[in-house]
Amino acid sequence: MSTPETPATPPPQAPEQGEPTTWTARYALYQRAGGVITPFLTTLLALIIAGIVVRFTTGESPIDTGRAIVDGSGLPWLVPSSVMDIRDVANTREFWDTEELARNNAQVNLQQTLTIMTTLILTGLAVAFAFRCGLFNIGGQGQFFLGVILAVYVGAEFSGIPRGIHVPLALLCAALAGAVWAGIAGILRATVGAHEVISTIMLNWIAYWVGSYLFSLGGPLQSDRNREVPISNDVQESSRLHVWWPDPDHIAGLHIGFFIAIGALIAFWIILNRTTLGYEVRAVGYNPEAARYGGISVARNYFLAMAISGFFAGLAGAVDILGWQYRYGQIDIQQSDIGFVGIAVALLGRNTSIGIFFSALLFGALLTGSNTRNLALPIEPELAGNMTLIIQGLVVLFVAADLLILYVWRARRKLRIPQRRARPAET
Amino acid sequence: MSDARGDQAAVPVLELRGITKQFPGVLANDHVDFDLHRGEIHALLGENGAGKSTLMNILYGLYHPDEGAILINGKRVSIDSPRAAIDQGIGMVHQHFMLVPVMTVAENIVLASEPRRGGMLLDYDAAVRRVRDLASGFNFAINPDSKVQSITVGQQQRVEILKALYRGAEILILDEPTAVLTPQEADELFAILQTLRREGMSIIFISHKLREVLEIAERITVLRRGKRIDTVPREGATQDALARLMVGREVLLRVDKTTAEPGEPLLTVEDLSVVDDRGLQAVRGVSFEVGAGEIVGIAGVDGNGQTELIDALTGLRMPESGRVLVGDRELTNANAHKHLDSGMGHIPEDRHRRGLVLDFTLAENLALHDYDKQPFSRFGWLRPGRMVAGARRLLKEFDVRGGGPQTRASALSGGNQQKVVVAREVNRDPRVLIAAQPTRGLDVGAIEFVHRRLVEERDEGRAVLLISLEIDEILSLSDRILVVYEGQIVEEYQPDVTEQQLGIAMTGGTRKDKEAAA
Amino acid sequence: MVGVILAALGVWLMLPPVGDNLRDRIDFVEIIPVFFGMLAIAAGLWAATRGELKWGWGAVLAGALGIVLGIMAARGSMTDHQAVFVWSSLFAATLRWATPLTFAAIGGMFSERSGVVNIALEGMMLAGAFFAIWGADRFGHWLWGIVTAMVAGGLLALVHAIFSIHLRADQIVSGTAINFLALGLTGYLYIDLYGAEGTPPDVSEIPSVHLGFIEDVYFLGPIFGQMSLMIWVAFATVFLSWVVMFKTPIGLRIRAVGEHPRAADTVGISVYLVRYCCVTISGILAALGGAYLSIGFVGSFGENMTAGRGFIALAALIFGGWRPFPAFAAALLFGFSSALARVLPEYSEQAALLFETLPYVLTLIAVAGVIGRSIPPAAIGRPYEKQ
Repeated sequence: MSTPETPATPPPQAPEQGEPTTWTARYALYQRAGGVITPFLTTLLALIIAGIVVRFTTGESPIDTGRAIVDGSGLPWLVPSSVMDIRDVANTREFWDTEELARNNAQVNLQQTLTIMTTLILTGLAVAFAFRCGLFNIGGQGQFFLGVILAVYVGAEFSGIPRGIHVPLALLCAALAGAVWAGIAGILRATVGAHEVISTIMLNWIAYWVGSYLFSLGGPLQSDRNREVPISNDVQESSRLHVWWPDPDHIAGLHIGFFIAIGALIAFWIILNRTTLGYEVRAVGYNPEAARYGGISVARNYFLAMAISGFFAGLAGAVDILGWQYRYGQIDIQQSDIGFVGIAVALLGRNTSIGIFFSALLFGALLTGSNTRNLALPIEPELAGNMTLIIQGLVVLFVAADLLILYVWRARRKLRIPQRRARPAET
Repeated sequence: MSDARGDQAAVPVLELRGITKQFPGVLANDHVDFDLHRGEIHALLGENGAGKSTLMNILYGLYHPDEGAILINGKRVSIDSPRAAIDQGIGMVHQHFMLVPVMTVAENIVLASEPRRGGMLLDYDAAVRRVRDLASGFNFAINPDSKVQSITVGQQQRVEILKALYRGAEILILDEPTAVLTPQEADELFAILQTLRREGMSIIFISHKLREVLEIAERITVLRRGKRIDTVPREGATQDALARLMVGREVLLRVDKTTAEPGEPLLTVEDLSVVDDRGLQAVRGVSFEVGAGEIVGIAGVDGNGQTELIDALTGLRMPESGRVLVGDRELTNANAHKHLDSGMGHIPEDRHRRGLVLDFTLAENLALHDYDKQPFSRFGWLRPGRMVAGARRLLKEFDVRGGGPQTRASALSGGNQQKVVVAREVNRDPRVLIAAQPTRGLDVGAIEFVHRRLVEERDEGRAVLLISLEIDEILSLSDRILVVYEGQIVEEYQPDVTEQQLGIAMTGGTRKDKEAAA
Repeated sequence: MVGVILAALGVWLMLPPVGDNLRDRIDFVEIIPVFFGMLAIAAGLWAATRGELKWGWGAVLAGALGIVLGIMAARGSMTDHQAVFVWSSLFAATLRWATPLTFAAIGGMFSERSGVVNIALEGMMLAGAFFAIWGADRFGHWLWGIVTAMVAGGLLALVHAIFSIHLRADQIVSGTAINFLALGLTGYLYIDLYGAEGTPPDVSEIPSVHLGFIEDVYFLGPIFGQMSLMIWVAFATVFLSWVVMFKTPIGLRIRAVGEHPRAADTVGISVYLVRYCCVTISGILAALGGAYLSIGFVGSFGENMTAGRGFIALAALIFGGWRPFPAFAAALLFGFSSALARVLPEYSEQAALLFETLPYVLTLIAVAGVIGRSIPPAAIGRPYEKQ
């Protein structure tokens, strides 16, 4: 009876082609490989196309439009005076007599950019967290509305509570409302397998109409003092978030909600990478089947991921209300689309904390920069606003087309890819 | 045997010259020559990854060769799509059937060459008629109106053959056709092939099973690592000689092990009944035990309830009735998590879909069952450092190659991936180890490793339940063999049972005998 | 199932015209819906214990709902009822609301049956709506509007196709991007071209078809006697799509591509070509739905006027098991809820806004209750990789 030989090195084989990997698995791939370059290229490509559209449809110069937007965003303020006169960045020497005036204007603009960025970070995180679990949460807008509604209610109806309690209470209620709203879609997905894309969109519209109703003339949340306008009460002083830049005495400026957003970014990372919940969420996102075999409850994670996702979005609504809006009206419901921008933010930011930070900054700059009040050049404001919408669409589109860019990129670098790409099933 | 061959004189019906195909990182075909005589059955033999499928896919127009030529009846042809191959009279029966399950047999067969009525409409009745005529011409018993998903695997294969015949194939390629058949069905297939051969069909038979190839083929071409090693006639060829050609070294066809001395039962299954996804009974009243220190093999043709049985045993599916116990702990209605915690290990049958999270690192994968326990985490707080350290040790112990703890699982070869799965399961010190198709898609070296490891586990006193579709594997590893058919355990054998007997039991032959006798 | 019908019957009895008569004759008239509702609940429980869970609990739910609604209806004022429940006009309105859904759903059927998820029906519809108005305005005739709409929808679909099929991007992300794109593009162009005044009020609109001989028939007359051309086209589309998908070789190939693309490939069918065509068709059809919305129904364009209808159409498709006639029935159901939402404010002006949520809630329920059962084409959503 001969003893078994030690096995020789197995012959190099092309690993068999498994089932097509889930699409989130592909996204996960880019999160590490090509993590910074492709979003960069994507944005570049999107901006170029947007520029072409602008030129084509309105005849204006895209460069000028772009510069105007940069100026409007306030970003040039970050460039120190010693390096460059701020007025040259955006070609606004005609408007401002001194650099100081331009700088002040830019400061205000930058505060606004960062304010929007705060909200975008939170709505972006909402989408991203769900993505990591393999779910597409398009319901950020509806969850945001729920947050707004609760924040307005808790903020306005309760008086005489110390700030230390009022603020966290309002924030918490709003975030929980968002969590519940998203949780509905999560439960549906977890139990009957209803696709969250459809259910969240339906929930969006339901929230839209419910909100419209609540703030309508004679509606339950309509203002007591001003009965002519479909708008809510102002939230109490005790529930408002302080401004910290320039300083707390100012009414307008960047509020501390900014730090809440940063905190959320950190919490996002911690939850995903340092907790068992995060481990489960990621496993389910990559491969629900294997997760199940590993003893993980896929249904439970679907629900939790959606709920946490909604938590972030609801928080976004609260931060907006308590930070600078202080009230909400029917018009606001009809015009808001911050949840949708959040989708683009998350995708461009590759669903990671760092990525969302920069992505939110970019979109915040775009949105502020194209806002009517900030534009110095004679460009029709609504046009510029819609150009941002187009950019959003393009960004999402090109994120989806990342495969192409990655493919080209790799082909040039003569491949060090994992051997998972299209391979023959060898027998 | 020589009736058809006599008239072909010099020109072979098919000739492949110098076919070369390169994939990134792998030279799949290296200047391969191959020829086929009219009315011949010619086998293409080789291990996984030897290049057999690639070669045939080139012939069928699914791939384009980098170099080389294809000649049909002496004339050079260019085949750049399956349509072109069909036009040249080449038909292919794939290993994984190319049939649409929800469509009927007739629809599948006439697809893309449908008979029409009035130019625009599909003439379904004509299709049914044609299929019936064709089938009876070759003595196939098939109902053109039944949906493919409701006929047996053997019948499905016949549908695939009919598909080729419908399109006027004269050269038929069969890719691992017996992988899904019982020995009886395989015999039926061989009979069909002989009939076809007599009608003038030339057949290429791809396989890695030595026994079969010697039974059916007149000539055998052996491929190894993309190169053609040799072409031998059937006379004088032996299994050993062929194996050596295939692998290049002495191959151990049986695993070495001592006789088992089973201890107390660690896995007890009592009257288990399980329902499948469609609501049908897949497992009916199954009872058996696996003792400590023994390997029990469950043999059976795919689709007789094995998957549902495994699901029930591992907590992924709730049984309808019956009991499952590990040791003396009742696990009947527990979920997967509890099963894993109670000392059960599971090597799943599809490592890509179920065994590994390909985008996780090896460390994360190795922690897949115990991520929520010490030392990998505490109170919900993850500790990646511990995961990596633990992984490093395991990877070394199991000689996993292709990366370290921080490498993504997707970067490893199939064999190494399976090693990771085995490492994870074995390391948890399970009392019961369930191995489902543990060597599927692996090369010989990896197979040897897995087999050895399973025997080691057995020797350490674990109870091992092996469920496999490979009869050789069952025979070589098991201390006791159970045969499952239509959800029931129909027989129990000792490892010295013949394959013939096993095959009969696997198709319900013995059960029918018993019923007839009663 | 019987239970659901019983419950519905109970409610219906309360409403005109039957309710009128009953009221005069019976004093404690509420008992009728309660009676039927109880029957429904009983039937539901019986079914549930037999294992027919979905229908069983559905009937229980319907029974409970029926009791509540029935009592409300019985208590409500008759005049209100009469204003609201003019059945023939309700039905006509249903058809009108359902038509955009029908077109989009059928379009979605082609795309999804070939294996490509089409979340972008909404965007294609919106584009169709806008470009229909623009085309009709620019070229003077509604026919040109339709043509432009079809071109726009087709082009948009082509983009979706390129990204989903050739570049193998995730089909849901790609679809969502198209929706964004359509939203931005139409909004942008709308402001650019029509600015503050909005679209011209006299844009050429799709005509209605007069069928004189039906016009006086009791129930059907007011509905079918004077119906928009597009609704007739919608009927035809449903029928034609059924023929094509299930009775022609082309349909067989489409379905094969959606179920098992590799099998189709190995018999020589071009998977890419089939999918491209189907996705483009879906864009054209969805755009037609949008065109009807703008130049056939409303008569103007507003930003984001489709308001989620593309998604409702998708739900209708799923509800209908990816088959034309059931999908059409589902579209009718959703259309009914929209029609009802328009008309219910008679009861309560205040809650008018809340009633608007009706179609969305209904869709949500449909999606929740049915999806687990519906079996989509096997290969849907997965990009095909030719080797």
